[in-house]
Amino acid sequence: MTAPRADAPAAGQAGRPGGAEAARLWPIVALASLAVLVIAAMAVTPNFLSVENLRGILRNAAIVGIVAVAMAPVTLSGSFVSLGVTQSAMAAMVGFVVLIGWGWPDWLAVGAVIAGMVAIGMVQGVLVAAGLNPVITTLAAGAILFGTVSELTGGRIVRMGPARPAWGGGEVLGIPLEILVLVLFTGAVTLLMSRSVIGRQTILVGANRATAAVSGISHARVTLVAFAVFSVGLALAGILNAAAFGEAMANSLTGLTFSVIAALLVGGIAIQGGAGSPWQAAAGAVLIAVISNMMVLNDFSPGGRLAVQGAVVVAAVVLIDQVRRRRARG
Amino acid sequence: MTTGAAGTGTAGAAGVPRLSVRGLSKRYGSIQALDAVDFELRAGEVMALLGENGAGKSTLVKVLAGLVAPDAGAVAIDGRDVDLFPSARSQAAGVAVVHQEYSLVPAMSIAENLVLGQGDAPDLWLPWRLAARARRLLEAVGLAHLDPRTRVERLSVAEMQLVEIARLLGRDARILIFDEPTAALADREIERILRVIRRLADEGRGVIYVTHRLAEVFRLADRVTVFRNGRSLPALPTAELDVAGVITMMLGRELGTMFPGHGQPAGAPVLEVEALEAPGLTAPVSLQVRAGEILGLTGQLGSGAADVVRCLAGLAPPAAGRVLLARRPVRLDSRAAALAEGLAYCSADRKRDGIFFGRPIRENLTAPWIGRVARAGLIAPAAERVAATPVAARFAVDVRRLGTPVGAMSGGNQQKVAVGKWLGAAPRVMLLDEPTRGVDVGARAEIYRRLRELCDEGMAIVVASSDTAEVFGLSDTIGTFYRGRLTELRPRAGWTEDAVVREVMHEEAPA
Ligand SMILES: Nc1ncnc2c1ncn2[C@@H]1O[C@H](COP(=O)(O)OP(=O)(O)OP(=O)(O)O)[C@@H](O)[C@H]1O
Ligand SMILES: [Mg+2]
Repeated sequence: MTAPRADAPAAGQAGRPGGAEAARLWPIVALASLAVLVIAAMAVTPNFLSVENLRGILRNAAIVGIVAVAMAPVTLSGSFVSLGVTQSAMAAMVGFVVLIGWGWPDWLAVGAVIAGMVAIGMVQGVLVAAGLNPVITTLAAGAILFGTVSELTGGRIVRMGPARPAWGGGEVLGIPLEILVLVLFTGAVTLLMSRSVIGRQTILVGANRATAAVSGISHARVTLVAFAVFSVGLALAGILNAAAFGEAMANSLTGLTFSVIAALLVGGIAIQGGAGSPWQAAAGAVLIAVISNMMVLNDFSPGGRLAVQGAVVVAAVVLIDQVRRRRARG
Repeated sequence: MTTGAAGTGTAGAAGVPRLSVRGLSKRYGSIQALDAVDFELRAGEVMALLGENGAGKSTLVKVLAGLVAPDAGAVAIDGRDVDLFPSARSQAAGVAVVHQEYSLVPAMSIAENLVLGQGDAPDLWLPWRLAARARRLLEAVGLAHLDPRTRVERLSVAEMQLVEIARLLGRDARILIFDEPTAALADREIERILRVIRRLADEGRGVIYVTHRLAEVFRLADRVTVFRNGRSLPALPTAELDVAGVITMMLGRELGTMFPGHGQPAGAPVLEVEALEAPGLTAPVSLQVRAGEILGLTGQLGSGAADVVRCLAGLAPPAAGRVLLARRPVRLDSRAAALAEGLAYCSADRKRDGIFFGRPIRENLTAPWIGRVARAGLIAPAAERVAATPVAARFAVDVRRLGTPVGAMSGGNQQKVAVGKWLGAAPRVMLLDEPTRGVDVGARAEIYRRLRELCDEGMAIVVASSDTAEVFGLSDTIGTFYRGRLTELRPRAGWTEDAVVREVMHEEAPA
């Protein structure tokens, strides 16, 4: 085999020439395709550029974006993705509805849900740090959460009742709350990854775990922090959704896992870790929302929309791979 | 093994070279890796390709392997112009390459690796034929004792390199290219590989041999081509050259001395090891290192020299014994613990655990000590650059390229990053395993000089190396290992280079 080591599966943890460069180049590609899409959308869909529509797009992107941004550190650290996104966010959502329904003050309920989610996330983080496969760990955690919530709610819808927070689904200075949270959260996590010691270490562990170990960087600490950040994002997404709708059930948020992973991939974050930045996940979420919106305005069937979304993910992954290979070759 | 047909029959008319390269150029961004290079290889000869780190050797190899498309120039094989890009064309044209970086798949068996990337591998479906074929190839490189079903990740570096060569033997190739095949090996294995390569050439193939070990050149090569800054010098017969002449051609100047002087280590020991028992050792090891002293540990691969260093680095916790740093016992149960005590460690396999391949040089340099640059857990980019620059400069890493992924640097420059980064951690003891692997003569002398400087400033240094010349030239005290045992330990004055080599081979007759 004369393929460069970069392309051999063997490279795995060790080396991915061009990975970082591809990640650096990818935002440009992503932005360019976003621009092309917007222009195309304007041409074929008259209502596309209305303030209402744009706001709708961002709103749709917000929940997915928040969770995708939150998951970025897990992916960057080399722990792939969580397959329990839907169930975790749903648990946060149901939890918040129940607490508000019990008459807890808003701030206390928010704090409790975040703390609870972080605790659940840390347990998964500990298991992954101890060497368990992250995909299986998160899948199992998702199943446990779903089972528990189903059992406790008896599969019925839970409602907040009259105590529903006034800010649910609301706006701050004319900006929908979800969008504001997405922007702030994306900024915070992006800064954490690019400017903090733990963020740098997260990316280095993802780039090469063995070298990181020799450099005295703790894989366990990085994994725990990554899962904690992830859990905060899950809690925020669940709370925002619960506050907007005032009710929740065990089957809420289906499809979120796929959308979040799609946003991550379309955003160009290296699935093996070690290259990329959280804001790219937010960009990926917006890109996907734009595409779905175009399809809605142009009367695509739900099945057709899903198929196109899948195709976009595949196209993005292929494109990233091409960029990476080209770069590796020089 | 599939020999014969590959070479001898198609040796071509006299005067038509097996391979001829004319005016080949390749640019990476602002770097002209190859600048109108000419190169010629005859059937049946071994052509050594030499040059400093970054001279463009691997780039030529990659062009010939079809991994990189050249910007300009022509390549002809047996007189016919060929296009070698992409790699499938290069393979079809009869070019086979052992790359500088390993390309085996660790999770697969030896036998599976041996057929990887060979389009028609009908054997793959018949495990016993796969194994039989693998056994034949392994035998040809002196690995007959290995079970072909062994997973590659369980092999030593030397064995991996030999498997990599065995894989080439499985292919009909007219042109064989070896990019530093011995960089990771000790004398005994090198001897074995050189014999195999010589035989392959004698069977009529053309062999290109890239190396930084000049002694090999004079044992193996018929002719020598030197690259300097991406340009080629005319090939010369080895018989007309000597080591000093080759070095001058490579550097464009004379080297001066390879090894710096020796220190006068004085005072109390910084590092004391008492009756240490660790994985890879068969008898307890005791030794001491003083400030300003370089202790060289040498032996064949697997002799235990590297294991002592790994244990002291906290990578293989000791089973028994005591380790004292400045008179105080230290715990070595994790790498982080050892690092916190001031024990820097540079591994022998930089790609595996020495560098972050795809990350910028700056991040590589600061990785073990980023906490020192940070305030309240936050990194200021300017502060990081300011901290990384002198570390890079100290080890002659181009400070203008701090943003470049380290993987895009030549192998020697990667090694300088792997060693040099530890300076930022201000360690008390520097532990190095094979510190000059794949490093050119100039940079090697540079690294030795830097290490000696650090020593003169009061650091204690332990070097494990299977290169006896390196250990003899660099160290103040020399310890030899044989089969997991420290056999001799005394000041350099008590050694000759021959004595070191004999002690390393121990009672065995030289191979
Ligand atoms: N993918 C790449 N991107 C950017 N620069 C590159 C790339 N590959 C090689 N280079 C640069 O091209 C020059 C030649 O590199 P090359 O690997 O050919 O050197 P070399 O002679 O093999 O050195 P060494 O002895 O250290 O292996 C170097 O300056 C290197 O940094
Ligand atoms: Mg090279």
